[in-house]
Amino acid sequence: MNTKTDLLQGTLDMLLMRAVADEALHGYALVHRLNLISGGRLSVPQGSLYPALHRLENQGILKATWGETDTGREAKFYRLTAKGKKRLDSEMAEWKELSMAISLVLGGAR
Amino acid sequence: VSWIQRLFGRESLERDMNREMRFHLDAAVADHVRAGLSRDEAVRRARMDFGGPEQMKEATRDARGTRWVEDFMSDARFAFRGMGRSPVFAVAAILTIAIGVGANTAVWSIMDALMKRVLPVDKPEELHALRRDGLQEGIYYTSYPLMQTMQRDLGPLAELAAVGSIGRAYATIADRPEPAQTLAVSGNFFGLLGVHAAAGRLFGPADDANVGGSPVVVISDRYWESRFGRSPSAVGRTIRINNFPVTIVGVAEPGFGGLNVSSPVDVFAPLTMHHALRLRGNARNQNGRDEEPWMPQREISWLTLITRVPASDAPRVAAIADRAFKADQEIALAQNDSASRAYAMRERIVLDPIPRGFSALRESFRDPLRALLGGVALILLITCANLAGLVLARGEARGHEMAIRVSLGARSGRLARQVATESLTLALVGGAVGLVLAQWIVQALLKLASSGTSAVPLDAGLNAPVLLFALGVTVLAGSIVGLAPAIRVRSFDLYAAFKSGGRVAGGHRLPLGRLLVAAQIALALILVTSAGVFARTLSNLIEVDAGYDRESVVTARIDLRAAGYTPDQLPAANRRLYQAVRAVSGSQSASLALFGLGPGGRRTSGFATAGRTIAPGQNLAQENYVTPGYFRTVGIRLVRGREFTDDDMVGRPRVAVVSEGFAKHFFGTADAIGKRMGYGVGDSTGDSGIEVVGVARDARNGGLKAPSPRIVYFALAQAPTEFVESVDVRVAGRPEPVINGLRNALSQFDARVPVREIVTVGAYIERGLSRERMVARLAGSFGILALILSAIGLYGVISYSVARRTNEMGVRLALGASPRGVSWLVMRDSLALVAVGLAVGLALWFPVLGLTRTLVYNVSPHDPKLLAASLGALILVGLVAGLVPAFRAARIDPIEAIRGD
Repeated sequence: MNTKTDLLQGTLDMLLMRAVADEALHGYALVHRLNLISGGRLSVPQGSLYPALHRLENQGILKATWGETDTGREAKFYRLTAKGKKRLDSEMAEWKELSMAISLVLGGAR
Repeated sequence: VSWIQRLFGRESLERDMNREMRFHLDAAVADHVRAGLSRDEAVRRARMDFGGPEQMKEATRDARGTRWVEDFMSDARFAFRGMGRSPVFAVAAILTIAIGVGANTAVWSIMDALMKRVLPVDKPEELHALRRDGLQEGIYYTSYPLMQTMQRDLGPLAELAAVGSIGRAYATIADRPEPAQTLAVSGNFFGLLGVHAAAGRLFGPADDANVGGSPVVVISDRYWESRFGRSPSAVGRTIRINNFPVTIVGVAEPGFGGLNVSSPVDVFAPLTMHHALRLRGNARNQNGRDEEPWMPQREISWLTLITRVPASDAPRVAAIADRAFKADQEIALAQNDSASRAYAMRERIVLDPIPRGFSALRESFRDPLRALLGGVALILLITCANLAGLVLARGEARGHEMAIRVSLGARSGRLARQVATESLTLALVGGAVGLVLAQWIVQALLKLASSGTSAVPLDAGLNAPVLLFALGVTVLAGSIVGLAPAIRVRSFDLYAAFKSGGRVAGGHRLPLGRLLVAAQIALALILVTSAGVFARTLSNLIEVDAGYDRESVVTARIDLRAAGYTPDQLPAANRRLYQAVRAVSGSQSASLALFGLGPGGRRTSGFATAGRTIAPGQNLAQENYVTPGYFRTVGIRLVRGREFTDDDMVGRPRVAVVSEGFAKHFFGTADAIGKRMGYGVGDSTGDSGIEVVGVARDARNGGLKAPSPRIVYFALAQAPTEFVESVDVRVAGRPEPVINGLRNALSQFDARVPVREIVTVGAYIERGLSRERMVARLAGSFGILALILSAIGLYGVISYSVARRTNEMGVRLALGASPRGVSWLVMRDSLALVAVGLAVGLALWFPVLGLTRTLVYNVSPHDPKLLAASLGALILVGLVAGLVPAFRAARIDPIEAIRGD
């Protein structure tokens, strides 16, 4: 696997964790939420969504429960576990460091 | 949800996943419809956004982390279905692997029990035995007073425990005496080892207090089981050991049978009971007083001392023990001259670690077992190569199936894994069957290796290391078998597979398969030549001129001591015994001897002759006591002088018959008649009270392997305290009736006398060749197996290639090639393969056969004639294997062959 997909995968995980940090969401709502927050700039590659969710669930970062939606349909809701919270915090800190470093470099290069 | 739950809750996980994805699609469709799209368009858009649902499901399944297990299970299920479709192949493959794994596991478990297993005691790595080093290998004996001195000097640094042999022992539990392995041990023996009681008590210091003061025994768990059925009432029972009553006070913990793993102890007795329990007579101590208890005697060295110290302390303990030993020797040797004293003082005490105990079998079977393990490993390799060839050929036949799978999207790596899994599944099933087989093979091997009529008493059961070994061998076999086909699948050429309508035309003539066959031939050459070498060794040994008759002499091994005879009763008893035996119908002559021909006890003494100096340590010879007629009966020819007669009795001049080797060694000439000799060290004149009256041919009286020892024979009638152990009868016709007659005669003579053996001398002697016979038989069967397997492998490859080249052959024939020429083409193919295999085999042959050097007798491992014969046999295999395919090639109908494509 090349580093580009690694980076993307890591980023996707972080975005998913952040999205379900405040409230439990099902997969479809997640796609919308990310799209909405980013002002349409981020569109989750739908083919990777569920594998990523299931992987995070298996790692104990997300917890999934079946529940009812507003329209009365049954859906699988994901929310962040305590372990996931810790992971999210550390990844966000890393990301901020990294993005700051990158902007410094890019800014300096100008 | 844990990994295990994910693995076993697969179905509900699948259901959930489907529900989840359906919800997603439905929600997306609903949104699109709300946004104003038509329903069809909405579904289309939702699906497009979502991507291929199956790929996503696959990726989601991968995320579970249980994927490889699921794949393995499904591949294994597929493999089982495949076995069901071709049951003959499956059964053949499973059996082949089962035999390979079974044989390897069996040999390994025996090696494990004999070579590797440590004693079931506390910290076995701390156990040491005191050995007297410097003169001969492995003298472990000291006297009891010396042990006490050593213990006093050692103080708290190290505790010594002692074991001493009781010699031959018979236990009377019901009515008749029966052999029971009995060992005398010091009171601290069990405590030092850390062995506990399974029932009752073990020995303590009180049992060491007075000679004869503690008439109790401890039995082993094994004996408790076999002789008392683990009855609790065994403890407290009184039995007789060599006619002396003793009380069983305890049972040692399971698995413990003394320090010698190859002759487990049945009965442990306190050292203080040694004298009471021992069968007296037939042992001679030059310095000590045999008729009195040995324990207080400084002159009798009979105890093996063991101690428990960390390895770092061993040299210090040895040094202290050595000082005590040297001081003891100074006193013992005070009377001797300086030369023999200097010689004796070369001895010193060393500490040998004995974590695995002692074993006579270990030494003699180490090399044979290694050779066996090598042999079974080669067989396993050959069978694997053979199976791999079979699987490969099946793989070729399944080319169409593979082509379809590849075009349906199966990745080649996944396919290769599936093919490998099929082989592994076969191997695992075969391995399981092999474990069952191994149990039988172990018993058969122990029986084959035994020099007696019952199996070697070795506890070679299944345990963790053995199971691990079996699993390792199985996986190895599966991998070897699966590797070649898996490689083949990885480089699968879809285009070629379809182009030829399912018959794979690419991959020129199965090169992997050819490689495997050549390898089989190479390994077979090794096995066939070693079979020849071992067969020659056995026949050389059997044909050795032992110096006596083997086929027309029947021998019985008895023990008069166990029946309670006292020395003063012996002359009369011997006379009655002789007459009873002589009267057996079919006997030409009969005789009695202290020691019989073949494996068994011997007495070695030091002798001196008047007027000749023999170097210290060179004055030893075996002695035997025989009745008149002995030499005639067993067929040892007298080269000079006379046999013993009835006149050679007490009160007459003492006479001796010596072997040629004895005469040359002690007198410097074969003509020793009239020379005088006596007991003594080599350079003193001794008592010279014995006159040599005859010289007998050298005889290998201990067995066929060892060269003839120097022997001196004395007249039994002149040594009335010897208890004869061997009765020999010369037979005119078939031995069987005489064997029965002899048994009756002995029973009538005295039913209390235990009879250990009644066989022909030949049969008895050849039991001493059990090792060589075992190796020769097994190597022979390995050789034959290797020939058959390589013939089958070769035949498979050649006939496969003929089938594939039918078209080409047809064209050749159509263009005017003669059928004979086409046949030759096939034969040449077969022989070329053999030639390649033999070339590789020859390169291996020299170093590998060199390893058998310690196991051969009178034949070189690299004997050119044996090599030539083996090469011939394998070339013959090439011819035979090529014959049928060649014949088939010659009968190809050109029209059919060309039209067929």
